[in-house]
Amino acid sequence: MSTSTEKLRKATLKVTPSSRKTAGSTSGLLRVNTRSAAASHSRKSFSLAGDSRLLEKGPAPVTGRGAQVFDESGNDVTPRPLCHPDPATMQPRQTKIFAAQDASGASVSDFLSTTFQTTNTSFAGPFTRSVLESSAMSRSSQSTMESLNDEIEDSSAKCSISVSLSDLQVKKEEGKEVMREDMLDDVVERYLTETGTFWLLDMPAVSVSVDAAEAESVKERNRAYIDLCKNRMGNDKYVERGMQTFNGALKTKELQSEAVSLADAAVMATTWDMYDTYSSDGGVGEATESADQSTSPDIILSQSRESSKTPDRTMSVLSSTSMASSLSSQKETAALFTLSEDKASPQLLLQSEKFQQDLCVMERVVLQNIFQARLAAYRRLPVLKDPDTLHKPSETLGAEMGAVPPAPALELLWSFSCELTVGQSVSSMAWNKKNPDLLAVGYGQFDLKNQKPGLICCWSLKNPMWPERIFPCQSGVTALDFSASHPGQLAAGMNDGSIAAFSVQSRERTAVLESSECPHKHSGPVWQVKWTDQDSGPWGEDKGETLVSVSADGRISRWILRKGLHCMDLLKLKRIGSKAVRKQGGEKTRRSEAYISRQTAGLCFDFHPRDPNIYLVGTEEGHIHKCSCSNNEQYLETYTSHKGPVYKVTWSPSCPDVFLSCSSDWTIRLWRQDLLTPVLVFTSLHRAVFDVSWSLRWATVFVAVNEDRLEIWDLGANILDPTIVSSTRPGVKLTSLLSATQTDCVLLGDSNGHVGVCQLNDLGAGDSQVNWKHTHNGRQVNSNSTSHCFACI
Amino acid sequence: MAEVEETLKRIQTQKGVQGIIIVTAEGIPIRSTLDNASTVQYAGLIQQLVMKARVTVREMDPQNDLTFLRIRSKKNEIMIAPDKDYFLIVIQNPTD
Repeated sequence: MSTSTEKLRKATLKVTPSSRKTAGSTSGLLRVNTRSAAASHSRKSFSLAGDSRLLEKGPAPVTGRGAQVFDESGNDVTPRPLCHPDPATMQPRQTKIFAAQDASGASVSDFLSTTFQTTNTSFAGPFTRSVLESSAMSRSSQSTMESLNDEIEDSSAKCSISVSLSDLQVKKEEGKEVMREDMLDDVVERYLTETGTFWLLDMPAVSVSVDAAEAESVKERNRAYIDLCKNRMGNDKYVERGMQTFNGALKTKELQSEAVSLADAAVMATTWDMYDTYSSDGGVGEATESADQSTSPDIILSQSRESSKTPDRTMSVLSSTSMASSLSSQKETAALFTLSEDKASPQLLLQSEKFQQDLCVMERVVLQNIFQARLAAYRRLPVLKDPDTLHKPSETLGAEMGAVPPAPALELLWSFSCELTVGQSVSSMAWNKKNPDLLAVGYGQFDLKNQKPGLICCWSLKNPMWPERIFPCQSGVTALDFSASHPGQLAAGMNDGSIAAFSVQSRERTAVLESSECPHKHSGPVWQVKWTDQDSGPWGEDKGETLVSVSADGRISRWILRKGLHCMDLLKLKRIGSKAVRKQGGEKTRRSEAYISRQTAGLCFDFHPRDPNIYLVGTEEGHIHKCSCSNNEQYLETYTSHKGPVYKVTWSPSCPDVFLSCSSDWTIRLWRQDLLTPVLVFTSLHRAVFDVSWSLRWATVFVAVNEDRLEIWDLGANILDPTIVSSTRPGVKLTSLLSATQTDCVLLGDSNGHVGVCQLNDLGAGDSQVNWKHTHNGRQVNSNSTSHCFACI
Repeated sequence: MAEVEETLKRIQTQKGVQGIIIVTAEGIPIRSTLDNASTVQYAGLIQQLVMKARVTVREMDPQNDLTFLRIRSKKNEIMIAPDKDYFLIVIQNPTD
């Protein structure tokens, strides 16, 4: 067909139909017709308007208003047009409209291709005029528009086809034929409106300024494109080919499937849940699922079973808590985690480290409940009354004696003892420097005839019923001291002269270091050990803590703990005869008395609190020597007054020049550093005083222990008699004493292995600073010692 | 092991201690000094409570965790040391 070939040439983008198909199924045709008719009625209206010809419209759908849709009940449910354009502006814009209806996409081409299919050979020639007219109009537009115009033309042609093909549309338009003939003479008014513009594709042109950086490349591209278009016409590269696609016949097929089973799953996203998942590396491989468990519907059960096997502690517990928590890690447990060790076994559980710790804490908690009142009193906290206990009426008696200040009293709060320590005698006690709740107690016999293996127990205030650490020793322990720089180190001196260092941090029961192999070890019982801070040793070593010990073989040694214990003598205690007392600082031995050994046993020593170089030594002779670390030959001073061995010498913590000494001559003497005779002498009973200790809380108070009583002297109140006296049970001897910081209590060790904690109540001493320069005369009760008169110095 | 036994015995003999129960995380009592009925009841109830407490603590701060729980009542005090594998429960009446 000429017309069709014409169209073919123009419609470069259009698919050329073959007219062969038109003879095909009429039903298809009809269908297509209605489809295209319904779809492109808008274009129809354009072309009609453009032609300004009133073409009769065939079927009812071809109205100015468009298709009318009626539902079953006859209601008009026609969708309203999307916009209502102004009909006046329609006509001049026709070309634009044509132009605007640019490449409307494949769908349009599809329609139109199908419309092409409907072209009939009987496509009348006269209608080409309209085609040509419209095409002429549009020839001025660009080449790309041609295809569109072709579309329009085609649609218009098709319209006319549909209108004119009365023989094909006989069935459909049968009813309307009659009407037409009747109305042939009628003037039918038809209103044509233009629907709004449907922008199907808008590709705005991109303009680039000439000065822009890409201008060159854009110009190049444009040029290339223009060349391409020019070359396209007769180029061999471009071949027009017709293709025909087959529309497969449609078939309805039914399918039935099982109902999809639905399950509700819920997750509670909580803060800890998310934290756990992220902190355990995404949770992969952390949660476990035992091999025999499949996806059990009961999530709780499976979770609780797994929880015991999960190494990650929090996740497992939480998984068992939340009802429907499906942890992501659980979902990833396709990789089965076979646990070689079954942690759920009760035996393993009980032996785990964590369990032991928990037990320890639990024990302390239980004991705290029991000892709460007493511990509170110790720590100077207000003792709270348990609201559930019955109030006893006798407690109100104390309140009636409000006028009279209560007398100072000693109250035993509790006693550290356990079955291990029963029968042992407490020989020494020491507080830990870092942890004020930790107490080390050494058990050993003073009696040299009856030697038993000793014991060191570390007690904690939080557990008065059982020691935290137990170190059995071969011989009795005679001296203990905690190190200050290494708070876990405990040095102990024994009856056999050896010194051992323990570490309380580990649970081992053996000493860390022992001096048994040291060539210079003591040959007599070590009576005192002390850790001191030396500025620099005479060997030029670093500043550090060293251990100083004094023993019965007359040597004061310093020990260094470096790959074993090495000792170095600080001083050898030489004997001083009694006749040398008259001389000041005389140390030469006299031939007047024959001595078995030239050395005297040292019983105690104490370093000056301010000056670590100066220390005092108390000897068996009864002399107290002031020595210096830098001088290991001579004594700086000698204080002689005691008649018997000096058991304890101690500097006052509050007054730097004052020290106390106690000895077996039943006296306690108070000295001043620069006076060679004691300032004050205290005595109360004819008993050897084993231990004396300044109170750390009150400057004028000191505590003394003789064989069977504890005496508390308050110098501010009374210098002749002890302020508080407390006797023990008969048969029990008090052997050692320890003051405590931050508390009013005093620790008493006795020969039965008990360490009693006694609270000093209402001493009334206050924090008065005693001015030692203004002491008044002291009256000597004991007839043996000399009396002194002092004037105010 | 002996130390654990000793400690348990010591706790048991302290003043006022009414019972000690050790339960696994699943609620199976390993050891108990109370009768079976009470043990099972305690185990079940305390497990729920501990979980609730733990959730509370962790909700406030996920890095925190529950270490100890004490419930003081009129007649006694229940002390619980929870862990991922077990609960250690001690019931004591300190005013006895």
